Amino acid sequence: MNTTVIHAASYLGPEGFGNDLTGFCPWPEALAENLKKGELDGLHWSLLSNSDPSRFLRMDLMCRLGFMAAELLAINFDALPDARRDRVGVCVSSFTGCLDTDIRFVRMPRPSSFAYTLPSTVIGELCIRYRLKGPVLSLITAAPGGAASLTEALEWVKAGDADLALCLSLETMNPSTVGTLVLPPELAPQSWHGAAMLLGPAENGAREKPVEVGSLQALCQKLCRLASHE
Amino acid sequence: MGTPVATALNHHMPAHIAIAGCGAITAVGAGVATLWEAVVANTSALRQREWVIGKTTQNVTAGFVPEEVVKALRVTHPAHADSRAFMFAAAALHEAMGNSGDALKNIPANRRGLVLSTTKANIEALDQLNRRQLVSLPAQRQIQPALLAADLAVNLGCGGPVQCVSAACISGLSALQQGALLIQRGEADVVLVVGVDLISQFVLAGFHSLKSLDPEGCRPFDQARLGLSLGEGAAAIILVKRELLPSPAVCLTGWGTSNDANHLTGPSRDGSGLALAIRRALERAELTPNQIDYINAHGTGTSYNDNMESLALRSVFGDAVPPFGGNKGLFGHTLGIAGVLETVICVNALKHQLLPGTPRLRERDSVAPESLVATPRPAKNLQRVLKMNCGFGGTNAAVILELNPA
Repeated sequence: MNTTVIHAASYLGPEGFGNDLTGFCPWPEALAENLKKGELDGLHWSLLSNSDPSRFLRMDLMCRLGFMAAELLAINFDALPDARRDRVGVCVSSFTGCLDTDIRFVRMPRPSSFAYTLPSTVIGELCIRYRLKGPVLSLITAAPGGAASLTEALEWVKAGDADLALCLSLETMNPSTVGTLVLPPELAPQSWHGAAMLLGPAENGAREKPVEVGSLQALCQKLCRLASHE
Repeated sequence: MGTPVATALNHHMPAHIAIAGCGAITAVGAGVATLWEAVVANTSALRQREWVIGKTTQNVTAGFVPEEVVKALRVTHPAHADSRAFMFAAAALHEAMGNSGDALKNIPANRRGLVLSTTKANIEALDQLNRRQLVSLPAQRQIQPALLAADLAVNLGCGGPVQCVSAACISGLSALQQGALLIQRGEADVVLVVGVDLISQFVLAGFHSLKSLDPEGCRPFDQARLGLSLGEGAAAIILVKRELLPSPAVCLTGWGTSNDANHLTGPSRDGSGLALAIRRALERAELTPNQIDYINAHGTGTSYNDNMESLALRSVFGDAVPPFGGNKGLFGHTLGIAGVLETVICVNALKHQLLPGTPRLRERDSVAPESLVATPRPAKNLQRVLKMNCGFGGTNAAVILELNPA
């Protein structure tokens, strides 16, 4: 059986963003303070790219984070033929899920935001964006970090259920929304991040790295920092 | 990225994961026996109830769990009396474990896993907090699906792996798949799979805003259908290693998921995404389409869904679509429970050799294949069933159940 490796990894967090190719960058000064506090409403794709995907502004925070993390991977899925995209799976895990969107929706129900009250909607957004039709899985976990999505994505590739697997760990917090309800401490998000990784069989590609089973967040963060020093 | 490997690797063997027991709390009442009686009678438990949606009071037709069932559960679970999600799920799980015979005997706690399937867990606590109502700490904590799963695992004595799937309306089938995988990978000998969701202010407001509710109650695959009806409750299935269960046993032998990559709230018009999930399930079970004896459809009662499913069935089965039907006219669309609950019906169909009908159907829509089963009828030799669901975000899932697979 082929060894499963990391083809690409990306990370966004309070301290900055990056991928395993270009390394880690701090946020622009104007935004850095808010993002450190977890106020994510200012997070916009145009910070990272000149292009402005039409769907982005409609998305909730979880989808925006997922979208940015996936775009940061710098993978050209369009180069894959249709039959190959049918075999690219997407797996997401999260502790906070779409709590921020749930609170906004319970305050003011709007048809356009209802679909975003599901933590699996980010998978739909990514599949539409990259035209992926492989296996899908959305897990809510008892702790942040994304070890669950990394494990399941790894199993897909090992078992041959997917040729490539895109796995994400997404945690949002937005004190200006979440702080409006008195929630028990165990529900209140402590930090935020978006981490993404593309796994697949080894092919002697330039960006291939070995998989370490554990926190997807920590692994993506580490690969981005390593790239900064290369 | 380098050039991806071109070959599809198929390392998995057909899985033989047996179903040891089932449990259910639905609009019909408590228990699988009550549910099956309603299936056999082809009745509907959809009821009208007044509900405040936004600022207006409206009549909502839905599958509400009867109040007497809730009252009885509050006596059984006093510590969780204001968490209907916990009470429904725990009751379904206890029933399923009670129906599992000796299969769970001698299985240590650390070999018992639990997989929860839900879209919104105990979401009504969020509604209550927003209205500044008092909510107990456990009920607040169970807004978070994985913490609800953890509380259920403690209540049921599961010390093995615990997972929580929240994948819109394929959550249930996805959870069954995850449960089977935990056993297949050797991480557990027994996995308790439970689906739970509630009809709440939150969920009603959402579907009402999308104008997808049928004011009279859903009529899946009917010419006059107008939309869906919501349902609530819980359903549980106990998965075990095949060798733990004597024959005859219903086994989960195949599963598959896919995405339409098309639209967030509507299915692909041609059914190709669902067809892909069905083919993946057939491939895993090492079956061909002509070996399927009955199909339990998603059948929400919306034109988009029902037509898409009909096209997916024609795409996979051609002109020979096996008998098929849908159960949502009985208990409504139960969202994250649907896959587990409708699989409970499939398990009973195999055990009782009966093809369930399609409650509330009056006249078959012309797009639906002619093999639609309107009223229940005895099956000649029901051996293999295909169950499928679809959801927001373009997700599709299918599983295959077999009676005593070779």
